[in-house]
Amino acid sequence: MSDTPTRDDQDRTGMPDHGGSTGSDQLLPDGDTVEQPSADTPARRYTDEQKYLVFNKEFMPHIDSMYNFAFRLTTDEDDANDLVQDTYLKAFRFISSFEQGTNAKAWLFRILKNSFINDYRKKSKEPAKVDYQDVETTYNSEDAESEHTVDLRAESVSDLIGDEVATALNSLPVDFRTVIILCDIEGFTYEEMAKILDIPIGTVRSRLHRARNLLKEKLRDYASSMGYNEESEE
Amino acid sequence: MQTSSSLSSSSSDSKPQMKEHCDHQVDCLKMIQLILDGEATDQQLARLKANLVSCQPCIQMYHLEQEVKELLTKRMEKKCCPEQLVATIKSKILTFS
Repeated sequence: MSDTPTRDDQDRTGMPDHGGSTGSDQLLPDGDTVEQPSADTPARRYTDEQKYLVFNKEFMPHIDSMYNFAFRLTTDEDDANDLVQDTYLKAFRFISSFEQGTNAKAWLFRILKNSFINDYRKKSKEPAKVDYQDVETTYNSEDAESEHTVDLRAESVSDLIGDEVATALNSLPVDFRTVIILCDIEGFTYEEMAKILDIPIGTVRSRLHRARNLLKEKLRDYASSMGYNEESEE
Repeated sequence: MQTSSSLSSSSSDSKPQMKEHCDHQVDCLKMIQLILDGEATDQQLARLKANLVSCQPCIQMYHLEQEVKELLTKRMEKKCCPEQLVATIKSKILTFS
């Protein structure tokens, strides 16, 4: 079997499972701690040479996607720089818990997302920080409210430019923004997203649904403020 | 041809009836999103195809979801990693191990 990394790892059904393991089929660095490898997932013992090979062949090809993800999360180029650098150094440090040929992109995205939550968000100066628990509670308690459709026509938003879409996306709470980035921009499957975010697939689905409703509301506000609304042109 | 004949709107012509109102809009929207995300079952796909010829609200929702997804994938700038950062990372890991 070739050990050549493929670019379309994410098109497969997710991370492969290793033999009989069911739950966490791949050990991933979780913030600054890393789980001890269990019996059925032994830590790979790479030589130094192999480490650099894996790093260059499997991790570096994803650096543009990683940077884009970091930028969309932090909305700041300097912070994105720091976050990507931290993530890649962590990935190298914990390289023995990565199995060659498995889904490197999802593995890296998970480290980046954990670093963002653990390190970046703590020191974030962002005033309008939204605690995820708050958001989740609010939205769960108002199911009727969140389970709706947004009254908007495709034609109303079809003239929006990229910056306007980015502004609308950035205005969403970060957990909602994250699922949209992972799904629509990076093309991860629900299963991969569940692993990256440590949440069940059902939650991925419902969070995406809510995130998209929020986004459409923002887009609708934006479109009507820009006069893109079909009603405004008589 | 006659799909949901009970919900008659404008009968008397032979074209398939187009529903102007959908009672399951939230469920239909969820199904549309699964389909556009490539996560739907064949059964859900078949149901959508049927809805797309007979249900006006579903047609509109489908176009909107598709448009929003395209705005995100095609119109937003993809930031590339600066060369300098690539170089920094590569030099930093050499000092490890």
